[in-house]
Amino acid sequence: METKTAAKKLQAERILILGFPGNGLIGTFTLSYIIQHLKMKIVGEINHPDLPPTVFVENGDVIGPIRIHRKDNIYAIISEIPIYSELSYDFTEAVLAFCIKNKINKIIVPSGVDAQYVDKKDIKTYGLATDPSLEKLMYENDIPKFIAGTIIGTDAAIIISFRNKHIPLLVLYTSCHPFFPDPQASIHAVTTLAKILKISVDTSEIQKRVDYLRIQHRNLMQETLDTLYQQEPQLPSKAPPIYR
Amino acid sequence: MTRDWFNVDSFDLPIFQFGDDLEQKVLRPLSCVREHESKWVLEFDLPLVEKKDINVYLNDDEMVVVEAKLREVYRDSKFTRHQYEHFKKSISIPKNADIKKISARFTNGRLVVTIPKIFQGTKIKIED
Repeated sequence: METKTAAKKLQAERILILGFPGNGLIGTFTLSYIIQHLKMKIVGEINHPDLPPTVFVENGDVIGPIRIHRKDNIYAIISEIPIYSELSYDFTEAVLAFCIKNKINKIIVPSGVDAQYVDKKDIKTYGLATDPSLEKLMYENDIPKFIAGTIIGTDAAIIISFRNKHIPLLVLYTSCHPFFPDPQASIHAVTTLAKILKISVDTSEIQKRVDYLRIQHRNLMQETLDTLYQQEPQLPSKAPPIYR
Repeated sequence: MTRDWFNVDSFDLPIFQFGDDLEQKVLRPLSCVREHESKWVLEFDLPLVEKKDINVYLNDDEMVVVEAKLREVYRDSKFTRHQYEHFKKSISIPKNADIKKISARFTNGRLVVTIPKIFQGTKIKIED
């Protein structure tokens, strides 16, 4: 009975899932899977004059690199290009404005954390919430709390902005190899996110393609690292476990 | 209409990677270097590779060279079907490397080369 009530409540809420290239490309892999799985439709794009001019052509249609998708009460924003540090706050402000306009009351951001700073034995997903209601969600889904560390870059900009606006935000940090595309860790991130969203997924087909995916997404991983390393001189000197 | 990152055939056009050699059918793997207090750790991402098919050595230019044969031909997109059969990459040995004690291990498609550092400097005595 309680589960049914919780499921109904989750369905009534408007949820945004947000993913962009970062450690192990976890965010982009995870969003791509969920968008495909739920057959979410494109409902908009985010553009900025300082973004590198990039478009993709799919079946003759032109689509931008940062897209907004929707199905029912779930919205998704996916970026297929790294967000440069200079654009972090503009990007965050655009997402924030979208959330306010569309009365979205819960944001979930799958991301990656360097496995060498957490338990290396097996892949785990940790949660960092800005609101007690999401801490409860973590507890219900057996997601351990991200206890300590330094977060920089777009993740940090998003956490600060949403916390300041009192919009509940949950960042899911999955342990991964930060410098290589990590579809294996992404499968874990997908499974965790699906559990939270109460949707069923079958990742067995992805499992077969993990090696191919690691080769295929080398370019974006390299671009992402170049983007993150731009931020290196601004890093605090003491051991930040993310994006290092 | 969406782009499916998990479907290797959903990318119609080839994704050109810097350093890949189409003529020689050689892919350039991703790699990274991490510095620790007593060692350097080089990592190479080598998916689709078996341990027995990896050749790692130091060349005369003091570079770590990694060559590996893919266990199956890699085709980059359904549009072009460019074919690749090997990985190859060379990385300069970091400073203070103790090249006699280099070791390597290969797990989960990742080659980790550990290079201990040589202690250099003058010992400073702590006075009573």
